[in-house]
Amino acid sequence: MPETPLDHELEQLLAYRNEPESSDFVASVMQDVRKEQRTRKVILWAFGLVGALFGLAGAAMLSDPITRLFTFTFSLPPTETAQVALMIVAAAAFYTWFMNDELSVGS
Amino acid sequence: MISDQELVIRVTGSNDQVAFQQLVERHQAAIRGFLRRLAAGDDGTADDLAQETFLMAYRKLHTFKSTGSLLSWLHTIAYRQFLQHTRKHARQKVMAEPPEQGHDPRQSMDSEILAQRLMGFVSPEERACLTLAYSAGMSHPEIGEVTGFPLGTVKSHIQRGKQKLQRWLKDHDHSISREKEAHSA
Repeated sequence: MPETPLDHELEQLLAYRNEPESSDFVASVMQDVRKEQRTRKVILWAFGLVGALFGLAGAAMLSDPITRLFTFTFSLPPTETAQVALMIVAAAAFYTWFMNDELSVGS
Repeated sequence: MISDQELVIRVTGSNDQVAFQQLVERHQAAIRGFLRRLAAGDDGTADDLAQETFLMAYRKLHTFKSTGSLLSWLHTIAYRQFLQHTRKHARQKVMAEPPEQGHDPRQSMDSEILAQRLMGFVSPEERACLTLAYSAGMSHPEIGEVTGFPLGTVKSHIQRGKQKLQRWLKDHDHSISREKEAHSA
């Protein structure tokens, strides 16, 4: 690739030498990674707990209508049973789409 | 030696931190070297950005496509971290002082430091392309992938940057010879 002596000099000058190697750097990165994981876990637990509490409260509030729904579901005509099943599938699909938070680092 | 791809699978599959540590150990020199050149001698900032780069890589490792090279992918993240940093600190110039005039820094200064400081003479884009071409040994298409520049732009950045540095080297040689002449007279 060098065409002139200056080209050659530039090539030599820009070549990496004494590449920085340090175990401190690696340790520091790993410390950050562990910290990030702890934070993620705390956030997940906190939101999970809040969700569970609301879920419990909701279940308590809706226990009567739910009992009634299940009591009558099997006595419903087939079209209404199919509608209920479809709504459950749609809710599950929405939940799957909503929780899929993959972000890409595209170039 | 375990391949990068295998280590990536271990990290993404079972959150194996030892595997990630191996990846950091393997690529830290290249990424820190690259960022040190981009930061033109500001080693502290370069190392902070390198740390951010690896943390970002850990977060986004599941999006890495195993068809490409992990090192190129890490360079892409590092370059973006650097651009973000320069945008944030646009007012405070992080560029190091250019080498002093009047004496030959190539003799008195450690050549790595000189190389980092010389980078202060070229624009950040030219710096990135020159470093990836000459120091990391990447091909022009690879540089295009890392920086997001079209192939023609990569070539012109390298050419322009090279010309600027060559001009400095030439001018410097002239000033050295003039100084030598003055001393001998």
